[in-house]
Amino acid sequence: MNKRRTALGGIAALCVAAVSFAQPAAAQTQRTVLGQEYVPTIWVDPDGCEHWVMDDGAEGYMSPHVNRQGIPVCRRGNVCGVMNSDQFFATDRYYINAANSQRLKEFFQTSTASAFIIAGHTDSRASDEYNMRLSYNRANAVAKIAKSSGARVIDVRGYGERMPRATNSTAAGMAENRRVEIICLR
Amino acid sequence: MKLMRGLLLIGAVAVVAACDNKVDKTVDRGWDSKHLSQLQAGIWVDPNGCDHWIIDDGFEGYLSQRLDKYGKPVCSGVAPPGVATGPFKKGSPVKDQI
Repeated sequence: MNKRRTALGGIAALCVAAVSFAQPAAAQTQRTVLGQEYVPTIWVDPDGCEHWVMDDGAEGYMSPHVNRQGIPVCRRGNVCGVMNSDQFFATDRYYINAANSQRLKEFFQTSTASAFIIAGHTDSRASDEYNMRLSYNRANAVAKIAKSSGARVIDVRGYGERMPRATNSTAAGMAENRRVEIICLR
Repeated sequence: MKLMRGLLLIGAVAVVAACDNKVDKTVDRGWDSKHLSQLQAGIWVDPNGCDHWIIDDGFEGYLSQRLDKYGKPVCSGVAPPGVATGPFKKGSPVKDQI
Protein backbone atom coordinates (compact mmCIF):
# COMPACT_ATOMS: atom_id res chain seq x y z
CA MET A 1 0.00 0.00 0.00
CA ASN A 2 2.74 2.36 1.04
CA LYS A 3 4.77 1.50 -2.03
CA ARG A 4 1.81 2.20 -4.23
CA ARG A 5 1.31 5.55 -2.60
CA THR A 6 4.95 6.45 -3.20
CA ALA A 7 4.61 5.44 -6.82
CA LEU A 8 1.47 7.53 -7.22
CA GLY A 9 3.24 10.43 -5.54
CA GLY A 10 6.02 10.09 -8.04
CA ILE A 11 3.58 10.23 -10.95
CA ALA A 12 1.89 13.25 -9.45
CA ALA A 13 5.23 15.00 -9.09
CA LEU A 14 5.97 14.26 -12.74
CA CYS A 15 2.56 15.57 -13.73
CA VAL A 16 3.41 18.98 -12.38
CA ALA A 17 6.42 19.32 -14.62
CA ALA A 18 4.92 18.77 -17.98
CA VAL A 19 3.28 21.66 -19.72
CA SER A 20 5.12 23.17 -22.63
CA PHE A 21 3.41 25.59 -24.92
CA ALA A 22 4.09 26.81 -28.38
CA GLN A 23 5.17 30.42 -28.73
CA PRO A 24 4.05 32.57 -31.65
CA ALA A 25 5.92 31.79 -34.84
CA ALA A 26 7.99 34.94 -34.50
CA ALA A 27 9.57 33.75 -31.27
CA GLN A 28 11.63 30.76 -32.27
CA THR A 29 12.70 29.80 -28.79
CA GLN A 30 10.56 27.31 -26.96
CA ARG A 31 9.91 27.76 -23.27
CA THR A 32 9.04 24.96 -20.89
CA VAL A 33 6.76 25.87 -18.00
CA LEU A 34 6.41 23.90 -14.82
CA GLY A 35 2.68 23.55 -14.39
CA GLN A 36 -0.41 21.46 -14.56
CA GLU A 37 -3.23 21.82 -17.00
CA TYR A 38 -6.24 23.62 -15.47
CA VAL A 39 -8.87 24.24 -18.10
CA PRO A 40 -11.86 26.19 -16.76
CA THR A 41 -15.46 26.23 -17.80
CA ILE A 42 -17.88 29.14 -17.67
CA TRP A 43 -20.46 29.87 -15.00
CA VAL A 44 -22.94 32.63 -15.76
CA ASP A 45 -24.02 34.63 -12.72
CA PRO A 46 -27.61 35.83 -12.21
CA ASP A 47 -26.65 39.21 -13.71
CA GLY A 48 -25.68 37.41 -16.93
CA CYS A 49 -21.89 37.82 -16.61
CA GLU A 50 -19.36 35.05 -17.03
CA HIS A 51 -16.96 33.61 -14.45
CA TRP A 52 -14.14 31.11 -14.88
CA VAL A 53 -14.81 28.06 -12.73
CA MET A 54 -12.85 24.89 -12.01
CA ASP A 55 -13.48 21.88 -9.79
CA ASP A 56 -10.31 20.14 -8.76
CA GLY A 57 -12.03 17.18 -7.11
CA ALA A 58 -11.94 18.52 -3.56
CA GLU A 59 -11.48 22.21 -4.21
CA GLY A 60 -13.38 24.68 -6.32
CA TYR A 61 -12.03 27.87 -7.86
CA MET A 62 -13.76 30.84 -9.42
CA SER A 63 -12.85 34.24 -10.82
CA PRO A 64 -14.72 36.82 -12.91
CA HIS A 65 -14.20 36.62 -16.68
CA VAL A 66 -13.00 40.08 -17.69
CA ASN A 67 -11.25 41.10 -20.88
CA ARG A 68 -7.77 42.60 -20.86
CA GLN A 69 -9.24 46.04 -20.29
CA GLY A 70 -10.98 44.81 -17.15
CA ILE A 71 -14.45 44.86 -18.67
CA PRO A 72 -16.59 41.85 -17.65
CA VAL A 73 -17.72 39.48 -20.36
CA CYS A 74 -21.51 39.28 -20.11
CA ARG A 75 -24.12 37.42 -22.16
CA ARG A 76 -26.85 39.82 -21.21
CA GLY A 77 -26.55 43.03 -19.28
CA ASN A 78 -28.77 44.10 -16.45
CA VAL A 79 -29.24 47.49 -18.03
CA CYS A 80 -32.99 47.85 -17.68
CA GLY A 81 -33.40 51.31 -19.11
CA VAL A 82 -31.54 53.39 -21.67
CA MET A 83 -32.79 56.96 -21.79
CA ASN A 84 -32.18 58.69 -25.06
CA SER A 85 -30.72 62.05 -24.01
CA ASP A 86 -32.30 63.86 -26.96
CA GLN A 87 -35.74 63.05 -25.58
CA PHE A 88 -34.98 64.06 -22.03
CA PHE A 89 -32.48 66.92 -22.22
CA ALA A 90 -31.89 70.04 -24.28
CA THR A 91 -28.41 70.37 -25.82
CA ASP A 92 -25.80 71.02 -23.12
CA ARG A 93 -28.47 71.01 -20.40
CA TYR A 94 -29.35 68.58 -17.66
CA TYR A 95 -32.76 69.88 -16.61
CA ILE A 96 -35.62 67.38 -16.94
CA ASN A 97 -39.07 68.84 -17.57
CA ALA A 98 -42.20 67.91 -15.65
CA ALA A 99 -43.62 65.48 -18.21
CA ASN A 100 -40.39 63.52 -18.54
CA SER A 101 -39.92 63.61 -14.81
CA GLN A 102 -43.33 61.98 -14.44
CA ARG A 103 -42.40 59.28 -16.99
CA LEU A 104 -39.23 58.49 -15.04
CA LYS A 105 -41.09 58.38 -11.74
CA GLU A 106 -43.47 55.81 -13.18
CA PHE A 107 -40.54 53.76 -14.46
CA PHE A 108 -38.88 53.67 -11.04
CA GLN A 109 -42.11 53.01 -9.16
CA THR A 110 -43.08 50.03 -11.33
CA SER A 111 -39.59 48.49 -11.44
CA THR A 112 -39.06 45.38 -9.34
CA ALA A 113 -35.33 46.03 -8.90
CA SER A 114 -34.00 46.47 -5.38
CA ALA A 115 -31.35 49.04 -6.33
CA PHE A 116 -30.18 51.12 -9.28
CA ILE A 117 -26.90 52.36 -10.79
CA ILE A 118 -27.22 55.41 -13.05
CA ALA A 119 -24.56 56.21 -15.65
CA GLY A 120 -24.56 59.17 -18.03
CA HIS A 121 -22.86 59.22 -21.46
CA THR A 122 -22.30 61.75 -24.24
CA ASP A 123 -21.09 61.70 -27.84
CA SER A 124 -17.54 62.80 -28.64
CA ARG A 125 -18.22 66.44 -29.52
CA ALA A 126 -16.84 69.07 -27.10
CA SER A 127 -13.96 68.36 -24.74
CA ASP A 128 -13.59 65.19 -22.71
CA GLU A 129 -13.64 67.21 -19.50
CA TYR A 130 -16.84 69.01 -20.46
CA ASN A 131 -18.51 65.73 -21.42
CA MET A 132 -17.52 64.08 -18.16
CA ARG A 133 -19.21 66.90 -16.27
CA LEU A 134 -22.32 67.03 -18.47
CA SER A 135 -22.89 63.27 -18.34
CA TYR A 136 -22.50 63.28 -14.57
CA ASN A 137 -24.93 66.16 -14.17
CA ARG A 138 -27.48 64.35 -16.33
CA ALA A 139 -27.06 61.11 -14.40
CA ASN A 140 -27.52 63.06 -11.19
CA ALA A 141 -30.72 64.65 -12.47
CA VAL A 142 -32.10 61.17 -13.16
CA ALA A 143 -30.90 59.89 -9.78
CA LYS A 144 -32.70 62.73 -7.99
CA ILE A 145 -35.99 61.72 -9.58
CA ALA A 146 -35.31 58.07 -8.76
CA LYS A 147 -34.69 58.88 -5.12
CA SER A 148 -37.75 61.09 -4.90
CA SER A 149 -39.88 58.22 -6.14
CA GLY A 150 -38.52 55.94 -3.43
CA ALA A 151 -35.90 54.04 -5.44
CA ARG A 152 -32.57 53.07 -3.90
CA VAL A 153 -29.74 54.50 -6.01
CA ILE A 154 -26.38 52.99 -5.05
CA ASP A 155 -24.15 54.79 -7.55
CA VAL A 156 -24.28 57.73 -9.95
CA ARG A 157 -21.59 58.12 -12.63
CA GLY A 158 -20.67 60.18 -15.64
CA TYR A 159 -18.57 58.41 -18.27
CA GLY A 160 -18.58 61.29 -20.75
CA GLU A 161 -17.57 60.12 -24.20
CA ARG A 162 -15.36 57.30 -22.92
CA MET A 163 -17.84 54.40 -23.19
CA PRO A 164 -19.46 54.81 -26.60
CA ARG A 165 -22.13 52.35 -27.63
CA ALA A 166 -21.88 53.19 -31.33
CA THR A 167 -19.57 55.01 -33.71
CA ASN A 168 -19.13 58.74 -33.28
CA SER A 169 -18.51 59.25 -36.99
CA THR A 170 -22.17 59.21 -37.97
CA ALA A 171 -25.06 61.33 -36.71
CA ALA A 172 -27.07 58.22 -35.85
CA GLY A 173 -24.15 56.75 -33.91
CA MET A 174 -23.67 59.95 -31.95
CA ALA A 175 -27.37 60.07 -31.09
CA GLU A 176 -27.11 56.54 -29.76
CA ASN A 177 -24.14 57.51 -27.61
CA ARG A 178 -26.02 60.38 -25.99
CA ARG A 179 -27.78 58.42 -23.26
CA VAL A 180 -28.30 57.74 -19.59
CA GLU A 181 -28.16 54.06 -18.65
CA ILE A 182 -30.07 52.66 -15.71
CA ILE A 183 -28.74 49.39 -14.29
CA CYS A 184 -31.24 47.39 -12.26
CA LEU A 185 -30.01 45.17 -9.46
CA ARG A 186 -32.18 42.36 -8.20
CA MET B 1 19.82 19.32 -30.55
CA LYS B 2 16.56 19.41 -32.52
CA LEU B 3 16.07 15.67 -32.02
CA MET B 4 16.69 16.06 -28.31
CA ARG B 5 14.04 18.77 -28.06
CA GLY B 6 11.56 16.62 -29.97
CA LEU B 7 12.13 13.70 -27.67
CA LEU B 8 11.66 15.91 -24.65
CA LEU B 9 8.36 17.17 -26.03
CA ILE B 10 7.07 13.66 -26.71
CA GLY B 11 8.11 12.70 -23.20
CA ALA B 12 6.28 15.68 -21.81
CA VAL B 13 3.06 14.77 -23.64
CA ALA B 14 3.32 11.19 -22.42
CA VAL B 15 3.68 12.35 -18.82
CA VAL B 16 0.60 14.57 -19.10
CA ALA B 17 -1.39 11.67 -20.52
CA ALA B 18 -0.30 9.50 -17.60
CA CYS B 19 -1.61 11.93 -15.01
CA ASP B 20 -4.51 10.30 -13.35
CA ASN B 21 -5.67 13.06 -11.06
CA LYS B 22 -8.93 14.75 -12.04
CA VAL B 23 -8.28 16.06 -15.52
CA ASP B 24 -11.67 17.53 -16.37
CA LYS B 25 -12.03 20.55 -14.09
CA THR B 26 -15.35 21.53 -15.62
CA VAL B 27 -17.57 18.97 -13.90
CA ASP B 28 -18.24 18.08 -10.30
CA ARG B 29 -17.99 14.34 -9.73
CA GLY B 30 -19.40 12.04 -7.08
CA TRP B 31 -22.80 12.20 -5.37
CA ASP B 32 -23.49 15.75 -6.34
CA SER B 33 -22.22 15.39 -9.90
CA LYS B 34 -23.14 18.05 -12.43
CA HIS B 35 -21.63 20.43 -14.91
CA LEU B 36 -20.33 23.52 -13.14
CA SER B 37 -22.59 25.84 -15.12
CA GLN B 38 -25.47 24.56 -12.92
CA LEU B 39 -24.17 26.18 -9.73
CA GLN B 40 -26.58 28.25 -7.62
CA ALA B 41 -25.26 31.43 -6.10
CA GLY B 42 -26.08 33.75 -3.25
CA ILE B 43 -24.50 37.06 -2.31
CA TRP B 44 -21.78 37.56 0.25
CA VAL B 45 -21.13 41.14 1.30
CA ASP B 46 -17.50 41.97 2.03
CA PRO B 47 -16.36 44.33 4.82
CA ASN B 48 -16.41 47.25 2.34
CA GLY B 49 -20.05 46.54 1.59
CA CYS B 50 -19.48 45.13 -1.90
CA ASP B 51 -21.11 42.01 -3.34
CA HIS B 52 -19.55 38.67 -4.21
CA TRP B 53 -21.25 35.62 -5.63
CA ILE B 54 -20.99 32.83 -3.07
CA ILE B 55 -21.70 29.18 -3.80
CA ASP B 56 -21.55 26.33 -1.33
CA ASP B 57 -21.58 23.28 -3.54
CA GLY B 58 -21.33 20.55 -0.93
CA PHE B 59 -17.63 19.82 -0.92
CA GLU B 60 -16.52 22.79 -2.94
CA GLY B 61 -16.98 26.44 -2.14
CA TYR B 62 -16.78 29.23 -4.69
CA LEU B 63 -16.48 32.98 -4.34
CA SER B 64 -16.25 35.47 -7.17
CA GLN B 65 -16.66 39.22 -7.40
CA ARG B 66 -19.91 40.73 -8.60
CA LEU B 67 -19.03 43.37 -11.21
CA ASP B 68 -21.24 45.68 -13.22
CA LYS B 69 -20.91 45.97 -17.01
CA TYR B 70 -18.19 48.62 -16.61
CA GLY B 71 -16.08 46.38 -14.36
CA LYS B 72 -16.78 48.25 -11.12
CA PRO B 73 -17.66 46.35 -7.95
CA VAL B 74 -21.37 46.17 -7.23
CA CYS B 75 -22.08 47.31 -3.68
CA SER B 76 -25.84 46.85 -3.63
CA GLY B 77 -26.46 47.05 0.11
CA VAL B 78 -28.54 43.87 -0.10
CA ALA B 79 -27.15 42.81 3.30
CA PRO B 80 -24.81 44.22 5.98
CA PRO B 81 -21.06 43.63 5.59
CA GLY B 82 -20.00 40.12 6.54
CA VAL B 83 -23.36 38.55 5.75
CA ALA B 84 -24.19 35.91 3.11
CA THR B 85 -27.71 35.78 1.75
CA GLY B 86 -29.64 33.92 -0.92
CA PRO B 87 -29.85 30.33 -2.17
CA PHE B 88 -26.12 29.60 -2.15
CA LYS B 89 -26.51 26.23 -0.41
CA LYS B 90 -29.31 24.99 -2.64
CA GLY B 91 -27.19 23.63 -5.48
CA SER B 92 -26.04 20.40 -3.89
CA PRO B 93 -27.82 17.54 -2.09
CA VAL B 94 -24.72 17.18 0.09
CA LYS B 95 -25.35 18.93 3.42
CA ASP B 96 -22.59 20.95 4.99
CA GLN B 97 -21.80 20.41 8.66
CA ILE B 98 -21.19 24.13 9.12
